[in-house]
Amino acid sequence: MKKISIDPITRLEGHGRIDIFLDEEGNVANAYLVVPELRGFEKFAEGRPVEEMPRITPRICGVCPEAHHMASAKACDAVYHVEVPPTGKKLREILYSAFYVADHTVHFYILAAPDFVLGPDAPPAERNILGLIHKVGLEIGGKVISSRGKAMDIVGMLGGKTIHPVGALPGGVSKAIDEEERAQIEEWGHALIEFGQFGLQLFHDVVLANKTYLDMILSDTFTTPMYYMGLVDENNKVNFYDGKVRVVDPEGNEFVKYAPEEYLDVIAEHVEPWTYLKFPYLKKVGWKGFVTGKDSGVYQATPLSRLNAADGMATPLAQEAYEHFYDTMGGKPVHGTLATHWARLIELLYAAEHIVELATDPDITNPHVRNIPTETPDEGVGIVEAPRGTLTHHYITDEKGIVQKCNLIVGTTNNYAPMSISIKKAAQAFIKKGQIISEGLLNRVEMAFRSYDPCLGCATHTLPGQMPLEVIIRDCEGDEIERLSWNM
Amino acid sequence: MHLVKTLVLGLGNPILMDDGVGLKVVRALKPRVVDPQVTFHESSRGGLNLLDVLVGYDRAIIVDAIQTRDGTAGDVYHLKSDDFESCLHVSCVHDVDFATTLELGRKMGLQLPRDIAIVAVEVQDVTTFGEECTPVVQLAISTAVDMVLQELESVGCAG
Repeated sequence: MKKISIDPITRLEGHGRIDIFLDEEGNVANAYLVVPELRGFEKFAEGRPVEEMPRITPRICGVCPEAHHMASAKACDAVYHVEVPPTGKKLREILYSAFYVADHTVHFYILAAPDFVLGPDAPPAERNILGLIHKVGLEIGGKVISSRGKAMDIVGMLGGKTIHPVGALPGGVSKAIDEEERAQIEEWGHALIEFGQFGLQLFHDVVLANKTYLDMILSDTFTTPMYYMGLVDENNKVNFYDGKVRVVDPEGNEFVKYAPEEYLDVIAEHVEPWTYLKFPYLKKVGWKGFVTGKDSGVYQATPLSRLNAADGMATPLAQEAYEHFYDTMGGKPVHGTLATHWARLIELLYAAEHIVELATDPDITNPHVRNIPTETPDEGVGIVEAPRGTLTHHYITDEKGIVQKCNLIVGTTNNYAPMSISIKKAAQAFIKKGQIISEGLLNRVEMAFRSYDPCLGCATHTLPGQMPLEVIIRDCEGDEIERLSWNM
Repeated sequence: MHLVKTLVLGLGNPILMDDGVGLKVVRALKPRVVDPQVTFHESSRGGLNLLDVLVGYDRAIIVDAIQTRDGTAGDVYHLKSDDFESCLHVSCVHDVDFATTLELGRKMGLQLPRDIAIVAVEVQDVTTFGEECTPVVQLAISTAVDMVLQELESVGCAG
């Protein structure tokens, strides 16, 4: 067979490109993360029966299909004005918590931990899960694989063993669980709690015990005070699945708390000429550009912002970890972008505890898991916390339930402006008066936006599948003066 | 006697036009292969999720979309997993890339295919939502199907 030489490039032109603009003195004036946009979803959805949306929207993203599935199912509940029976809601929550454990596990151990365990200046060839195993031992790899596996088995058990979950329907879920399944979920849940504690201990031993890392987390380079968003329950505790969206200001005071159907009163979207992407901001504060602080409507929606926006965690071990977090970081709110990794581990523990809490609920094997919709469909909004931020689905249908309009604000979108701002701050430490320290620049810039775990274009499996990063530094005239790249 | 189990895995997003070409190839192949030792599977997820699917097979043929520098849409490539060594040990958006996934799985002692072939179709549009491929990529499906059939035949699987 003919040998074909291939040179795979990024799946999308401009994927993960960062433009850094310098001022006349050669200091960083602006930095923008340029992300390609997937086009035409609204048109794709129009004309389809709304009950298909919980099966279609998970396809938008190969990373967090469960989040789209849940937001979509909740929007459909609202469109049909149907209440989900308590057991149906709890089963959705078990599935969703298990998904959180799996997703946060992958992000922390595959992406974040190598930066800390091997060091931010270790060569990229070593800063990965294999390097982590090499340094910490094979056992950690086994824990990651088996814990993620258990979490995904719970997702499969409740969501249907298909490529994407199909378990949630308007009005509830398609299938109840029996005692055997319940006991299995409980057993796995306990193992996941243990794994959650292991992660926090690892963070404590490797990151917090190392003064260099703690200083880096607390450093100005990675500090960006802004508004923080997150879903909370009726006690203002972090909730991934249900409740109201609470936003606190950079000082930690409640700015607004809104129900899903009120999102358009609170959020507006800013358009920039250099990208098709829209930048959501708080309407009442207004868009003041790529700046943070109390006068700028820029907010973030991340694990860190969820902790900042809440008064605590709803489970005991996670609450303990939450208190330790704020004690160590010097009180609420925490502004350090890199602390997002710690927040993610606290959320992982909460998710695991929540699985056990729900699996031991006496009502969890109740066969009544769905109310069949009987009302005429019209309009509905569903909001969940996706691992990467608050996810909003909004559908308008005709009286037959055919989608007329659809609007989605996906998790990462909330964070486009904060990511650009964090990148700018990281770049400022490495570019001074025209002197570019290219050695540390890429690593720090990557660490700054990686903590947001951005979803840069939702179908990430196209070969070769690795994260390309290109940084283009331009002078005050906009002319390119340096180009740094990885994996291009 | 241990029967050699082969997995034909289509990867892609079924609603992002050409991105879903791997799934379409696998769907077209399915009715043409009767060998009970050959399993067909579709997935829209990557990274560690691929381990769940690959475990337990001796051999795998993966069909996916690809974009190469100066590539011509509709071209079909036959690759071995070694061809992606250059991608090994690199960071990725949310998860590990394919080669790292395999190495991680092997280190963990999972039974993974020892022989992996990749049939990749050069794509044109993977950013617009749609269930159909672009015409040029649609035309390449039969070429990719033939390539997989040939690969199966070469390792003794019955068509």
